[in-house]
Amino acid sequence: MVLIRDDVVRPKAVLDLWPLRKELAFIKREGGWVKIGALATIEEICSSFLVRDCRYAGFSDMCSHFATPYIRSLATIGGNIGAAHPLSDATILLLTLDSEVKLVSIRGERWVKLDKLFLGERKLAKDSSELIAEVRFKEVPENSSTALLKFDRRWGHSMGYVVVAVYAQIKDNVVREVRIAFDSIGRPFPERAKKTEKFLRGRGLSEDVIEWACTEVLPKEMKRISDYRASAEYRLELSKVLLRRALLRIKSRIRGG
Amino acid sequence: MSNSLSEDRYPYIKVKLSVNGRDYEVSVRPYERLIDVLRYKLGLTSVKEGCGRGECGACVVIMDGKLVPSCLVLAVRANNKKILTLEGLAPEGKLHAIQKAFLDVMSVQCGYCLPGVILATKWLLDKNPSPTDQEIKEVLGGQLCRCGSYLRFVKAVKLAVKYLKEGKVYFDIQELMSPP
Ligand SMILES: Cc1cc2nc3c(=O)[nH]c(=O)nc-3n(C[C@H](O)[C@H](O)[C@H](O)COP(=O)(O)OP(=O)(O)OC[C@H]3O[C@@H](n4cnc5c(N)ncnc54)[C@H](O)[C@@H]3O)c2cc1C
Ligand code: FES
Ligand code: FES
Repeated sequence: MVLIRDDVVRPKAVLDLWPLRKELAFIKREGGWVKIGALATIEEICSSFLVRDCRYAGFSDMCSHFATPYIRSLATIGGNIGAAHPLSDATILLLTLDSEVKLVSIRGERWVKLDKLFLGERKLAKDSSELIAEVRFKEVPENSSTALLKFDRRWGHSMGYVVVAVYAQIKDNVVREVRIAFDSIGRPFPERAKKTEKFLRGRGLSEDVIEWACTEVLPKEMKRISDYRASAEYRLELSKVLLRRALLRIKSRIRGG
Repeated sequence: MSNSLSEDRYPYIKVKLSVNGRDYEVSVRPYERLIDVLRYKLGLTSVKEGCGRGECGACVVIMDGKLVPSCLVLAVRANNKKILTLEGLAPEGKLHAIQKAFLDVMSVQCGYCLPGVILATKWLLDKNPSPTDQEIKEVLGGQLCRCGSYLRFVKAVKLAVKYLKEGKVYFDIQELMSPP
């Protein structure tokens, strides 16, 4: 709506998907999966079982930073993914849960890994006739949790300068699995920091390891941009700080249970 | 919206709305926004356009119990929905407790943001009759006030909570105007 109003895009026709809410607004666990219908709103996610489960505490982080109540009541999860925007908070979190997306068209349906879906700014690896119907991820094991951190100058506002989400499974203080996603690693869409993940996997999550991951490993794979909102240096510095905080938050979440 | 759209290619669609307890049937273009229908077709000018892009909260209305920015809702999406605007908050000749509270603490400067702020308060109190300061701030954080009356808004919401708890929902405007 905002892009149309600002004349950035001028579509020949607009399809209102809201009536599909009858079928596609679910948020449920089923057969070892968590399944979210594309028309579920952020508000609905924020009052679902996800925000009460310590393993999915990242959703609760997301909810306390996601826009305003009146945006949350309209914003859908499908739209968050479809926007293919670096600052799509829900998408960044879903990347760390290794989610996959169900695309449906008259030709049938297919599942695509969320991290294979983005090609560029507002560009998706899908046909325009394909509808995002659902996003799902496998339930995560015990001893794991999620966190999302977003830096902005004021609450209730749209665009973070940097957003990071982390999923980790930590057992006996060793990182069994970890997935890290940022609003951007270099390209203009949310992506995972795979080199930093690889470095952390299998290591003990000590102060030194976290420090090294944030200050030595992350900057090697991350390229930030400068624009009117913040400089590249500032964004990189924020990325390091937020990643450190996110890892520490997860560590204490897993310890706290 | 854009003049360059050829109007004839976009036929009128009939939309049924229940606004402030009254039923309406209006013909709208598919691209028309709810805010335009409320303001220009129904004359409900309490619905203000601030930013037109979901950032200021001046245009919020309560639609089927949800707080929504009417600038981001297509009119066709509001078909068969119940909508509350500020005009419908109290019966003719009365003020709602929330309105009275906002007047009592003298929170109104230019007043442009107030319809949105009051409806956001109504939405908050309907689901949470005793909000904490933090909860009030989280909801009103979405309502921009150019005049910066924010601290008084929090005071006003707490006073409204008090009135409502005492069972005082409506106040007679005549009585309020006449000297004690
Ligand atoms: C004031 C404001 C504040 C915001 N704050 C935040 C924030 O804090 N965090 C955040 O992450 N986002 C934020 N956003 C962005 C936006 O609200 C969210 O990304 C939201 O989830 C978009 O959902 P929507 O249903 O409104 O999608 P739309 O805006 O309607 O659609 C977005 C794009 O996705 C496509 N699309 C939508 N649904 C589907 C589908 N099912 N299948 C295929 N394509 C689809 C549309 O065609 C369009 O290109 C904000 C926006 C505004 C206006
Ligand atoms: S005019 Fe709708 S939110 Fe500002
Ligand atoms: S009183 Fe002027 S904008 Fe709020």
